[in-house]
Amino acid sequence: MAQPFPYTYYACDCFDSNTAASASRAAQTPADDEDARTFDPRSPRSNYALYPLEHLLYCEDCQQIRCPRCVIEETLNWYCPSCLFEVPSSVVKSDGNRCTRNCYNCPVCTSPMTVSSLEKPTEPSATGGPYILACPYCHWSTVEIGIEFEKHTGITNQLSRIANGGKTLPTQKERDKERERRKEAEARGGIGGRDILSGSEDSPTRDGEGNAAPPGHDDIFSNLSAFYKAQMQAQTPSNPFSPHDLNFSSPSTYSRIMNLYSSTASKKQKREKPALMREAASALEGLALHDPASDIAAIERIKKEGWASTLSPARKLAQLNPHVRFDSELRPTASLLCTKRGKRCRSCRHILSKPESKITSTRYKIKLLALNHIPRLSLRALSPATTTTTPGPSHPPFNYNALRPGIPIHFLLHLSNPLFDPIRVTLATPSTTPGAIASRITILCPQFDVGANTDVWDDALSSSLSPIAKRSGDAQFEAGKIYDRGRNWTAVVLEVVPGFVTPLGGKRDEADGDVKGGGEVDADLLEIPVFVRIEFEADVSVEERGLGDSRGSKGEKERREEAFWTVLGAGRIVDV
Amino acid sequence: MSSGLGGERKASASLTRPGRGTAPRLHDLASTPEAPRTPLLRSNSSFFASPGGSFRTEDEYVVIELGARFVRGGFPGESAPRCTLHFGPDQQRRVGDYRQWDPDSAKQRRNTKSGQGWSRDYELYRMDLSAVDLGVVEDKFERAMREAYNKYFLLDTKPRRILLALPPRMPHPLMSTILDVLFGHFQAPSITLMMSPILSAVGAGLRSALVVDIGWAETLVTAVCEYREVHERRTVRAGKLLSEEMAKILNAELDDEAQPGDPKLQVSFEEADEVLSRVGWCKSRPRSNRRTVYFPARTSPVLEEFEDAVEAPEPTVTIPFLRQDPPTEITVSLATLAKPAEKALFAPDTALNEFDDDELPLHHLIYRALLALPIDVRRLCMSRIIITGGVSAMPGLKTRILAELEALVQARGWDQVRNYGSASARHEQILRQRREQFELRRQESEDKVTQSLDPDIPRAPLPPGLQDPVDDVIDAKLAHLALRNGPPPESFVGGSIRGVETLGAWAGGSLVAQLRIKGIVEIEREKYLQHGLQGATKEKEVSVVPQRQSMGPGLGRGAGERASWTLGVWA
Ligand SMILES: [Zn+2]
Ligand SMILES: [Zn+2]
Ligand SMILES: [Zn+2]
Ligand SMILES: [Zn+2]
Repeated sequence: MAQPFPYTYYACDCFDSNTAASASRAAQTPADDEDARTFDPRSPRSNYALYPLEHLLYCEDCQQIRCPRCVIEETLNWYCPSCLFEVPSSVVKSDGNRCTRNCYNCPVCTSPMTVSSLEKPTEPSATGGPYILACPYCHWSTVEIGIEFEKHTGITNQLSRIANGGKTLPTQKERDKERERRKEAEARGGIGGRDILSGSEDSPTRDGEGNAAPPGHDDIFSNLSAFYKAQMQAQTPSNPFSPHDLNFSSPSTYSRIMNLYSSTASKKQKREKPALMREAASALEGLALHDPASDIAAIERIKKEGWASTLSPARKLAQLNPHVRFDSELRPTASLLCTKRGKRCRSCRHILSKPESKITSTRYKIKLLALNHIPRLSLRALSPATTTTTPGPSHPPFNYNALRPGIPIHFLLHLSNPLFDPIRVTLATPSTTPGAIASRITILCPQFDVGANTDVWDDALSSSLSPIAKRSGDAQFEAGKIYDRGRNWTAVVLEVVPGFVTPLGGKRDEADGDVKGGGEVDADLLEIPVFVRIEFEADVSVEERGLGDSRGSKGEKERREEAFWTVLGAGRIVDV
Repeated sequence: MSSGLGGERKASASLTRPGRGTAPRLHDLASTPEAPRTPLLRSNSSFFASPGGSFRTEDEYVVIELGARFVRGGFPGESAPRCTLHFGPDQQRRVGDYRQWDPDSAKQRRNTKSGQGWSRDYELYRMDLSAVDLGVVEDKFERAMREAYNKYFLLDTKPRRILLALPPRMPHPLMSTILDVLFGHFQAPSITLMMSPILSAVGAGLRSALVVDIGWAETLVTAVCEYREVHERRTVRAGKLLSEEMAKILNAELDDEAQPGDPKLQVSFEEADEVLSRVGWCKSRPRSNRRTVYFPARTSPVLEEFEDAVEAPEPTVTIPFLRQDPPTEITVSLATLAKPAEKALFAPDTALNEFDDDELPLHHLIYRALLALPIDVRRLCMSRIIITGGVSAMPGLKTRILAELEALVQARGWDQVRNYGSASARHEQILRQRREQFELRRQESEDKVTQSLDPDIPRAPLPPGLQDPVDDVIDAKLAHLALRNGPPPESFVGGSIRGVETLGAWAGGSLVAQLRIKGIVEIEREKYLQHGLQGATKEKEVSVVPQRQSMGPGLGRGAGERASWTLGVWA
């Protein structure tokens, strides 16, 4: 499990109340009886609604739990998690979402890579180079893809100019220039002699290659992009209504292009007779014809180099270009920038959390945690009911991973109150857990009070909720009585009779095609949904509590109520 | 508990501004055999639209592509998406559940279910809504998009418009779910919907194409003519079937290697998927059936030799299964790894008449799609075959499909009626008659052909509004003249089978958004939040494809701001 047993998850119910579609979906499924409203921890949706208490925020205005789904996040600043450099938003916009300094991650194991020198003592170089990026963890380095750097700084810039194997890559500007040059050459040479496949030999960027490699993804994209822009520009004659209007986003420009092929062109357009917008006709315009040679090369490579030379799905996805197949195509990946984000309530837009803006600080200016507003529930096994309580160090620790079916177990449900007001708690749980293994659940005392989170001195002075006598025989197992109580906490007993892992249980969803059992990992999980309602009297201006001691100020109280589902992870049931 | 959340819908700030209605739409770049509109109206609208030409330059976009098993997202003008996020069990855990990092539990939670459950945990949605819990779709999609925005987009607080590439014919409840998330959680001021096949054509530099999208649950063949979808066919022969075949073959190999008494090992979904993507491949077309050399430009002797010459020793691949308990490895022949593609996609051992309509082998599906097209559209499309989708990256597959198709065309031509069994033969015949009638009518009216010939739909006669006015004949002649002087002949290649590579639908969307071309279906946040998908107008009267809602006309539907919006092909 996420956490070791026993654990408690809290449900935020925003998922079924925030959209019309879900409302209409809810209307379709008749929610007639109690069962329909019971929170089912086995439902696939529950995984998206359940959170550990520490992950939840609380909106004091809406008086509701706020989970990561029902907050709005606002980026406050950007930084590299590796070099902790704060990146201005303008740079994020122009240079993208990755660090442009020397921060790289290993494409094999994702560890941060270091710049190392390959300088030989025998032949020292002026710069101390050549340098490589190397992974200190798995020892992969750019040597394996034939890349070395001249300087140990500005790695990003150097890397962007080197292709795997060491060839120099042209910059975008050089590419554009080269494209224009070759297009002009083509125009002079006439249309007939045009080589519509990419490589002509006069390209300076492809020197030394007899047969040019097919253009890469980025080449094709920039060619296509330039082609479309040129096509649009060619369609921009002067506009009678706005003579200076030459940019692409002009609607009048478009109305012309739009109707180029149209047989219903307007009279005006007929007069102007605009040139036709057409499709890409050559590699320089971004057209790439299917070439069986690349297919054959890939198959040959699999045949020769086998499994190890191919990339796993995870490694492919970590690459900037996920369409790679072989390990020789790997590139070191620059660190993704991180952000510091403020959070607002999605409903009322109040700020719920705001970190300090300094990158190195992990503190928050504001953080309204749910654990300061919502009682914490925790579960603990008391002891198997069959054995009499034998306290002592010799008692073996309770094994939550082996709950025995049919044998009642007593758990202690401990509920502590973070509020400065005493609360009245009502717990509800289905009598049997949902799912194939129906375990019987009984909360011996479902309604009780919990003291306020006053300081310790108040506790000593208070007489209204004095602790009851502990260990008074078996009295605490009686229905309707709490087990134990402290200053701001109360414990009650929860009796569980784990159900049997029935032989048929393994095949229950056959209509679905799901043959559970072997594949279904969590079928033996004992999770108990518990609905918690708390009632209390609070000061009217509770949100201003932080501003001063409002407890004694006016004495004006209002009745408040909170209700939410929790899921208690009690353990795993063994098959007997 | 719903307290204030419902109030979200009332979010204010009208984002409409004058002139939006005149923005260009993709299909407007194409021919439009629709009712003529007055030139006066258009001039007026552009006159009132954007003084100074600053039209929409302040709007920024996010480009999102949605598939059955992934979502891609990034920014216009970039060649690749910032992220490609997949759906799997590790993406569906509770917050605070770190089991995927635990090697022990990794062994336990291997999914070896068969049938429907084989891939369910790895899909975002299914087109068959009876098998989908839309709530779970919403949860999965919301979580993935939150990761995209928070981890990869890293945007400032300014809301971004969204260009959303969707598969055609997505059911409305599914679309609503997706749009709810994007409007509700990510504050998009507007969402432009575009069809993936059309964006694939844009990403190939083409205006017309036959887009073969070999996706997860199905392969979709879409004929695109001048940025318009004119015909569509589908088959279940796609990624899912392929992964099931691969699992069968690997399980059989594991059985063979096992010692008697060993526990029976089964590959999981991830293992089958990984083997497919790493070393799965597709054989070239068997020589026995070959009649011609298929790639005159680049003949492929290696390809043929590869198929026919028996190599000794037979090449093998050793595949490790580290998550099996105990970890194991098997050595299989390279030829074995080509079997799943053979069986799942081409099914050479089954007679054609034994297939249901939705399970035709790929080459037959493509052939029939071409067959159903009007002659001149077919001429364009057959020379612009774009094979895309996740499975298309398999080495050898594109080459094989094109070769099979070439052989089919060589053997059958385009006019021959095949006997697919008596019932379907009659069907084909009726189809042909219709086509001939249509051709006749088309020639009479000198109409531009963008009309679909969907055999499933009874054809209605052309409404008068769709027929062109007389003076268009002159227009067409002018256009012809311009063709002769203008573009290079390469852009008119047709009549032979030719494959064209695409950068994919996402890159197509990136280009479209970069050029600020507006889509047919643009949904404003305010209107959507008020009315949902029901707010779309049903523009039947301007439908280009009879009986089926098609992309409505973009321009001329009232000057200035467009009051209504349409769902186009998704209606
Ligand atoms: Zn929530
Ligand atoms: Zn850095
Ligand atoms: Zn490493
Ligand atoms: Zn709030």
